Amino acid sequence: MNGNRRMTNKKPLLEIKNLSASVAGKEIIKNLSLTIFEGQTHVIMGPNGAGKSTLSHVLTGKPGYEVTSGSITFKGKNLLDLSIDERANEGLFLIMQYPVEIPGVSFMTFLKYALNAKRKYLGLDELSAPEFIKLVQTQAQKLAIDKEMLGRAVNVGFSGGEKKRMETLQMALLKPALSILDEADSGLDIDALKVVSKGINDLDDGKRALLIITHHQDLLEYIKPDFVHVFAGGRIIKTGDKNLALELEAKGYTDFIKEAQC
Amino acid sequence: MLKYLDNIALIGEDIPALAALRQKGKVAFTGLPDKKTEAYKYTPVSSCLKEEMFSKPAHCHTHQDGHCDCEQKHLPFDAYEILFCNGTLHEHFHFCDGLEVSSLLDAVTDHEIGKYINKFELEKFPFAALNTAFLEQGIFLRVFKDIKKPIGLIYHTKQNGFENIHNIVVLEKNVNAEIIEVFEGKNSISLTNVVNEFFVLQNATLTHYKWQNSSPQAVHITLNRVDIKADGKYQSYTLQTGSKLARDETQACLKEQNASAVVNAAYRLSADGLVDTTTDIEHLSPSTASNQIVRGVVDGQAHGVFQGKIHIAPNTFDVSGHQSHKALLLSDDAKIDVKPELEIFADDVQCSHGATSGDLNANELFYLQSRGIDEQTARTVLTSAFLKTAFEDIPNSDIKIFFEELLMG
Ligand SMILES: Nc1ncnc2c1ncn2[C@@H]1O[C@H](COP(=O)(O)OP(=O)(O)O)[C@@H](O)[C@H]1O
Ligand SMILES: [Mg+2]
Repeated sequence: MNGNRRMTNKKPLLEIKNLSASVAGKEIIKNLSLTIFEGQTHVIMGPNGAGKSTLSHVLTGKPGYEVTSGSITFKGKNLLDLSIDERANEGLFLIMQYPVEIPGVSFMTFLKYALNAKRKYLGLDELSAPEFIKLVQTQAQKLAIDKEMLGRAVNVGFSGGEKKRMETLQMALLKPALSILDEADSGLDIDALKVVSKGINDLDDGKRALLIITHHQDLLEYIKPDFVHVFAGGRIIKTGDKNLALELEAKGYTDFIKEAQC
Repeated sequence: MLKYLDNIALIGEDIPALAALRQKGKVAFTGLPDKKTEAYKYTPVSSCLKEEMFSKPAHCHTHQDGHCDCEQKHLPFDAYEILFCNGTLHEHFHFCDGLEVSSLLDAVTDHEIGKYINKFELEKFPFAALNTAFLEQGIFLRVFKDIKKPIGLIYHTKQNGFENIHNIVVLEKNVNAEIIEVFEGKNSISLTNVVNEFFVLQNATLTHYKWQNSSPQAVHITLNRVDIKADGKYQSYTLQTGSKLARDETQACLKEQNASAVVNAAYRLSADGLVDTTTDIEHLSPSTASNQIVRGVVDGQAHGVFQGKIHIAPNTFDVSGHQSHKALLLSDDAKIDVKPELEIFADDVQCSHGATSGDLNANELFYLQSRGIDEQTARTVLTSAFLKTAFEDIPNSDIKIFFEELLMG
């Protein structure tokens, strides 16, 4: 279904140019360049510790990550000038590898603040309580999320699969232009994987873009990629199509890394 | 400072019972606490007192129907409201079946009050002794039947000066009642000195809420003295967000079997105020239980103090007493002092206390911001969630919502 996107969508959503970034004084991202157009699905695969999560944190503005050189443009704006919440409200969304537990804050309260923040940013009025509840419950049902879960504290005591479903719910409600999935599929059984990927596919309006970080090509059975990148040592060492993912799964990363070093 | 107290003229000197009580207070009062006073070692009250606080605030103009010209906010839920303006009781009560209300002055002439007033060692509480020496304002409330609506005591302060209030509340056997106190003030340089004496008789339940949001220049001192009889229950939920210096002290005596107390509190300070929560839970009988959850958030140069004592008398058994204090320190200049004390003279006892302090969790903050919530709002969401722990068990849903909204600012 993503067949001819490469040709037709010519509006760059995200442009990363020669990016280097460090954490705790250690350079992790090294001269990385990547452009994502509207409607595209990019996949990043790479060994543990390669810097994939670091990239997702640099993009979303997590404190502690320092950009040492290069630029990032999102929807034509300098992303690095925007605060964490401005980036989110501009349409950047991260499904976290480890969604955070927040005791004492119910999911409903959390979602209400998030949705209203976005609406305020877009110059819209806050939703009324009944409108909000209806919206959330309708979306939750599609993702097989029990009403009772919405009353509980954010992610507290949730299983890995439940957490990822709740992340997908947030994504569905916030309708981001670019979603980054950081190992969204790790720790999911096959049913949960189906629910999450269906939830993600349902959001496809032809414009929304995805950056999927994964170790497994299972997820790619459900969400078809336009590009697959091999990520090692803080940069992209090879780019291909979905067959590259199959090849990687079969052979492992070692050969690719060796090849890139030659 | 004390010399200014002579400026304060009292009414009722001609009532012998009142004069006698005041005389007792004068004898018991040996001066204001200072650095050497152990019970006030973290709370330098003397340094916060100002000359302006030692005068009698002028009466406000009251209309025939009991209303005055002071700006008044009512409680956002249905309640019986009793109003104090600048420390003076407005004698316009809404009575209902099973509730007897009178001013303290009227009650003193009634000899029944002798059974209920100053039923504790005045000498141990300097501000309570001072309170007795200046006894005049306050209410005497007796509850004979379940009261469906909360009884609101609204203390509205606009003027500088000394507000000295003594309330007595008696819950007769098997009765349930709720009291909510709200202290509000804007810019006044005032000293509010409250003594509440609560008598919870057999199988009665008193739920006591308090929101202290006095002026940032005010000093606020409260002593809650609670006597709980067999199967009686006292549960209090206190939120403090105001004052230059505020001390909320509770001494609860679990006098008979199966008496229980919940003494929960939260405080949030952002400027340079001090809030002191001091509790003394006295387990004097077998099968008594107490629980305390105290949460604080201090920012700026604010200072939180928690002193919690659990005393378990000899020859008691099957007693449980639990206490937890946690605080968030949001700036380098903010400060917390904590002094838990367990005095256990019995064996069959379950006791615990815990105290920790820390900063907001950076991952939680990032998570909220990454969903579009601005930093200020995200911080408020997290701090109010933290403080809310103290109010989780509030039985009245209107008041629970009221408190949760107060926590969100
Ligand atoms: N906050 C941090 N402090 C110190 N080192 C970090 C931090 N975050 C990531 N790193 C280091 O950066 C490297 C890349 O980590 P990460 O981006 O999580 O890799 P990946 O997601 O590809 O497995 C690792 O060596 C990791 O230890
Ligand atoms: Mg990772």
